[in-house]
Amino acid sequence: MLEDEDVDVKPKITESDDWTTPGNFHGKSLTDEVKTVEDKWQLLPAFLKTRGLVKQHIDSYNHFVDVELKNIIKANEKVTSDVDPKFYLKYTDIHVGNPERQDADSVDKSITPHEARLRDMTYSAPIRISVEYTRGKQIVRRRGIPIGRLPVMLRSNKCILSGKDEETLARYRECPLDPGGYFVVKGTEKVILVQEQLSKNRMIIETDPKKNVQASVTSSTHERKSKSYVATKNGKIYLRHNSIGDDVPIVVALKAMGVTSDKEILQLVAGHDDEYKEVFYINIEEALRMGIHTEMQALEWIGARSKSARRAVGPAHQKRPVWEDAIETLSTIVLAHVPVENLNFRPKAIYVAVMVRRVLMAMVDEKMLDDRDYVGNKRLELAGQLLSLLFEDLFKKFNHDLKLNIDKVLKKPNRTTEFDAYTQLLYGGDHITSGFVRAISTGNWSLKRFKMERAGVTHVLSRLSYISALGMMTRISSQFEKTRKVSGPRALQPSQWGMLCPSDTPEGEACGLVKNLALMTHITTDVEEEPIVNICYMLGVEDVCLLTGTELYRRDTYIVSLNGNLIGVTRHPLKFVTQFRKLRRNGFINEFVSVYINHHHNSVNISSDGGRICRPMIIVENSFSKVTSEHIKMLKAGKIDFDAFLTQGLVEYLDVNEENDAYIAISENDITETSTHLEIEPFTLLGACAGLIPYPHHNQSPRNTYQCAMGKQAIGAIAYNQLNRIDTLLYLMVYPQQPMVKTKTIELIGYDKLPAGQNAMVAVMSYSGYDIEDALILNKASLDRGFGRCQVMRKYSTMIRKYPNGTHDRLADAPIGLDGVIPKKYQALEPDGIAGAGERVDTNDVIVNKQSPSNALDNSINPGQADSSTYKNAPMSYKSPVPGFVDQVLITDTESEQTLVKALLRQTRRPELGDKFSSRHGQKGVCGLIVPQADMPFNDRGITPDVIMNPHGFPSRMTVGKMIELLSGKAGVIRGTLEYGTAFGGSKVDDMSQVLIDNGYSYAGKETMTSGITGECHTFYTYLGPIYYQKLKHMVLDKMHARARGPRAVLTRQPTEGRSRDGGLRLGEMERDALLGYGAAHLVRERLMLSSDLFHVDVCNDCGTMGYNTFCPMCKSQKNISNIQIPYAAKLLFQELLAMNIYPKISLEDAV
Amino acid sequence: MRVRVRSLESERINFVLEDVDLALANALRRILIADLPTMAIDIVNIEENSSVLVDEFIAHRLGMVPLISTACDKLINYNRDCVCLDHCPKCSVELELNIKCTTPETVLVTSNHLQIKGQVANDTSGNLIDPPIGLPDNFGLPINYHQEGAYPITLCKLRQGQELRINCIAKKGINKEHAKWGPTSAVAFEYDPYNKLKHTHYWFEQDERAEWPLSANATEEAPPDDSPIGLNAEPRTFYFDVEATGALEPKDMILLAFAELQNKLAGIVLALDQPTDQEGYMDNNNLVEGMEPSSTAADQVDDWGVGATQGGFDWT
Repeated sequence: MLEDEDVDVKPKITESDDWTTPGNFHGKSLTDEVKTVEDKWQLLPAFLKTRGLVKQHIDSYNHFVDVELKNIIKANEKVTSDVDPKFYLKYTDIHVGNPERQDADSVDKSITPHEARLRDMTYSAPIRISVEYTRGKQIVRRRGIPIGRLPVMLRSNKCILSGKDEETLARYRECPLDPGGYFVVKGTEKVILVQEQLSKNRMIIETDPKKNVQASVTSSTHERKSKSYVATKNGKIYLRHNSIGDDVPIVVALKAMGVTSDKEILQLVAGHDDEYKEVFYINIEEALRMGIHTEMQALEWIGARSKSARRAVGPAHQKRPVWEDAIETLSTIVLAHVPVENLNFRPKAIYVAVMVRRVLMAMVDEKMLDDRDYVGNKRLELAGQLLSLLFEDLFKKFNHDLKLNIDKVLKKPNRTTEFDAYTQLLYGGDHITSGFVRAISTGNWSLKRFKMERAGVTHVLSRLSYISALGMMTRISSQFEKTRKVSGPRALQPSQWGMLCPSDTPEGEACGLVKNLALMTHITTDVEEEPIVNICYMLGVEDVCLLTGTELYRRDTYIVSLNGNLIGVTRHPLKFVTQFRKLRRNGFINEFVSVYINHHHNSVNISSDGGRICRPMIIVENSFSKVTSEHIKMLKAGKIDFDAFLTQGLVEYLDVNEENDAYIAISENDITETSTHLEIEPFTLLGACAGLIPYPHHNQSPRNTYQCAMGKQAIGAIAYNQLNRIDTLLYLMVYPQQPMVKTKTIELIGYDKLPAGQNAMVAVMSYSGYDIEDALILNKASLDRGFGRCQVMRKYSTMIRKYPNGTHDRLADAPIGLDGVIPKKYQALEPDGIAGAGERVDTNDVIVNKQSPSNALDNSINPGQADSSTYKNAPMSYKSPVPGFVDQVLITDTESEQTLVKALLRQTRRPELGDKFSSRHGQKGVCGLIVPQADMPFNDRGITPDVIMNPHGFPSRMTVGKMIELLSGKAGVIRGTLEYGTAFGGSKVDDMSQVLIDNGYSYAGKETMTSGITGECHTFYTYLGPIYYQKLKHMVLDKMHARARGPRAVLTRQPTEGRSRDGGLRLGEMERDALLGYGAAHLVRERLMLSSDLFHVDVCNDCGTMGYNTFCPMCKSQKNISNIQIPYAAKLLFQELLAMNIYPKISLEDAV
Repeated sequence: MRVRVRSLESERINFVLEDVDLALANALRRILIADLPTMAIDIVNIEENSSVLVDEFIAHRLGMVPLISTACDKLINYNRDCVCLDHCPKCSVELELNIKCTTPETVLVTSNHLQIKGQVANDTSGNLIDPPIGLPDNFGLPINYHQEGAYPITLCKLRQGQELRINCIAKKGINKEHAKWGPTSAVAFEYDPYNKLKHTHYWFEQDERAEWPLSANATEEAPPDDSPIGLNAEPRTFYFDVEATGALEPKDMILLAFAELQNKLAGIVLALDQPTDQEGYMDNNNLVEGMEPSSTAADQVDDWGVGATQGGFDWT
């Protein structure tokens, strides 16, 4: 056992325990507590082994490729022609092949993701379809026609990496710890972030800004996506939808749906609650006043106001009666997710009635309003769903184009050969391919067809550290605008317990809107509804269409709905739910289908839709955990895996809504008679980033949040293939160490294998005054020995282009100077014109000596005849102020057959003054002073600290976890063990103190130290021990900037802005105000004009315009010309004003 | 002053320094850490490096290898002071590391693979420089070099086909410049284990003795009794525990440290004895920047209106 649980584990049981002693059986005596399930946390690694950290992305993508694609094809299966009614083309099948490289001359088509990364290609696989179409009188069937390429998600089941062992992965140059779940598009790794939104097809009762209650449903089916409301206005209830011009009084709407009797309407809406009847009467009156009594009248009224259906009617057809429009609108557009089969409006009418009832309930009692922020009302949209929308759009466009092309050909009366649609299919171009690539690489999902306009859906996978990449894969972004100042969506929701990490969210504008998944979560994909409906009916659910309002709303009747659709009622909800769950636990129903009772709404809700967050929990029956130590033993021995726990009904997934039906014990001691479930491990409520923090439960909570942000900036090892990667910027630590105090999460996510930090011996004391404001003092000898040393690799890449006119760039070897020596600038170059690996380069040294033809863009020259004698230099040179070394050089071809040269430049940096460090407790600080070892304080064993941290960092930050980390770390160092700081557990302070005492240290981790400068004993004691320190990517070298003179902007002649352009430091308004206030007028003049954009200009005193050469072109005279100094910007302004017919006159006075 | 050695091992010495000042004891400690010259690889020429570690990485690792530096204080020159053009046997040791992995098994490259290379060098006037006489045979070799039961220092691992061809120049230096030139890894130093002098203040919850364990050095001293300690009582006994890297023998290290201390003191004495008008050091006119040279120092009044004599610049 690695760690003591919080639960009381009495004497450890070992095989050698003598159980023959009376009263001692298997190491237990009668007085011992009942044995708990030891190591139930072992389920967690088992879970992660089968599911992985980014399984949600991969599952979603797989679902898209395996199921959704086929559904989309089925929904759009036929292409017909307006010209030839006999022609048809039908898609019969679709499948995605293996990832392939596109090079025409390649023999082996298989491609690895790493090749795609290096060669700036897209890791994609062909989409192949099978079709059936008519050719003349024949019906032709063809299979495997490629229609485009789909970017492949890494580690999905289409990816070559899926299911490969470590050795194979190494051969593919891939890191086994890399989670996958992203795409490689044009060489960059792109993640489609999880998007959070309100659930589809569910009623949400809320108030609009005017405090009117309304029920809204976002319907989403394959055919249509729309939003319908049942809203209140002046106490009256209306049905509102975009496709109907006016709000439809609810009674009219219900009458149009075939509920014509007022009594029936009242029953359906209010049941027998007089309170609700009271509130509803007014609506019936309104319908009376409008004179609408029959279904036809209602339909006519709605039809006259419906917008959409009109368009669909072509000019050739007869004009459709108005009431048919209404039927069309009501059946397919309003509340589109409620099916209307054979014009049976009954289900939809009941659905509307239930909506109205919910509105009435909320009008009477505002407690019945729903909470939008409740996690159970949210759905997460993953890569698969977004891609499926995209594909649907692209495919419809493809079909449309195909139809147009086919029509175009069929229109021609005489054809030499019989028309074969196959050629047209192949002609389709790379519309689908480029559509995917464009969407993923720009992140713009603009699908007009689905009224979707989203930017920033994809992000470049951050490879700053392993944790940053991992953190990105679990990130959830909200659709909510960042600018609005509302706290609701940003607040911590009690229902996110265990599902979303409470700590990991950014600070600032996106605070609370960007969230992260907790460690042990799963996001569901769609599960087929039909079998579930059948099971429900078998379990005694009565069909909703057979009922009237009286039965529907009886006190003891519960409405059963599946994914928001009402399917029936039951009188025995508890029995129904129990039986349903039993079936699920036995595998008759998919494990991700959830069911729960909502007693407020008298309903039983079943969900099988995708995007729900859920997590596994141990089932408790009769106050006993179904998982026992025996199961865990088998698990440890590798005899069973996590799925076995599911299939045996020991563990089940609960989503947020079903959690409300469960009574979950946190530890086994908490199990009571009413308990239904047991947590697998409480620390799984944190996410991957927060899981790195030791003893987070002892910290002030914002500190954990800060660390979550900072852990992503820590320099360390990023992947096993880090040295094979050529990334734009890569930070690597020279000697990364796994933390002395780790957590179970660290082991589970592999942070101990790809760490980002070092265990520093920290003395918490004041030293020298250079440690104020969180600055750290570093030991020079430690830095000499490699503490905090890191490598920075930067990519320099260039294309050796071929131009359309036949000319092309070339690489030239180093020129020889007049003195016969190669100039310093070119000395790193090898004969091929590219710097050699291992060469040292200084600022402005040439890395790739490229030359471009001077007539590259001149297309008047014929290819082949191009005069390529003149070339101009276009070298790529090294930019950093500090020398670097060429790490590696890659010469390759891209997809567009251009030669690509990438050079990776490396710098090795040791920490210097101003570099940023941080512990794992949100305590960042810069290096304030580097002290020789001899001046460092030392303890009685001669240990000098690596880092001195000022104790003032503790009182206000309250990072007690850091202190405990130090204590555990110290005990671990002494004992030679790695200690654990797992949340809600971990090595105990008492035990750690005992270790210290046993080894002759003070139990509190304090030591008396001696000053290295005077040799005198400090009068104070010092908290001394190892703390894991991260070096953050912010280094002085990348930020330092100063300028005396330098480049100026062309237009204004003012100094440029920004470090990258060697810009000036702005003396801004506030600084100017201070100087003016002080009275330093000349300093202001100097800064704002003399040192900025001074301009001498001749001004004519007669006409007030600017002249030149002591001549005024306006007056045509040289009289009365004065030379003055003004800012160039002022001169520019005058000229711009003149250009717009404004005549600014400069009138001069004598200077005093 | 008395030195009583309590234990002496190959890489550790524990001794008691008696009848000395705190200042002197600390000076000794500081010298042990920072001022003892040793040899360490300083320049690394990499001809071939196909290992997974980058050049700087390997160079840094090589630099950190302690080399046996016995007697380097007297017999080896600092490279910067040497008569040679670049480096020579009098100021450096050349080592090489040539290894290629040809087997499918990974080769562990250690300090044992370093080999000393003979060097030939001329001085500025073209004369051949002889190697210094009296250096031990193992001079310049890494510690634990091919020793039974001792572990060499891992430098790198090579896979099949990978190769290292490296030429290193080890030079003399001190820890002040870089930690690789430090002969000690930890210098512990303690006085007054019972805290009789009350130099420190032990914070405790209930019982000071129980919560602050006594150090092992407490056995050397009598436990505190009620007898008063004089106001002017000063620590006179110091317990040293010096852990060496192996570059120097612990005993030599202590002797060297004393010698170095004497040297430094002598330097100060010499400097103090120098007349004022000697170049550089003691000329008070040059001590304060921007001060106008004048005929008599006593006339001078600086910006703060204090005479130079009171300012303490007039050392005569």
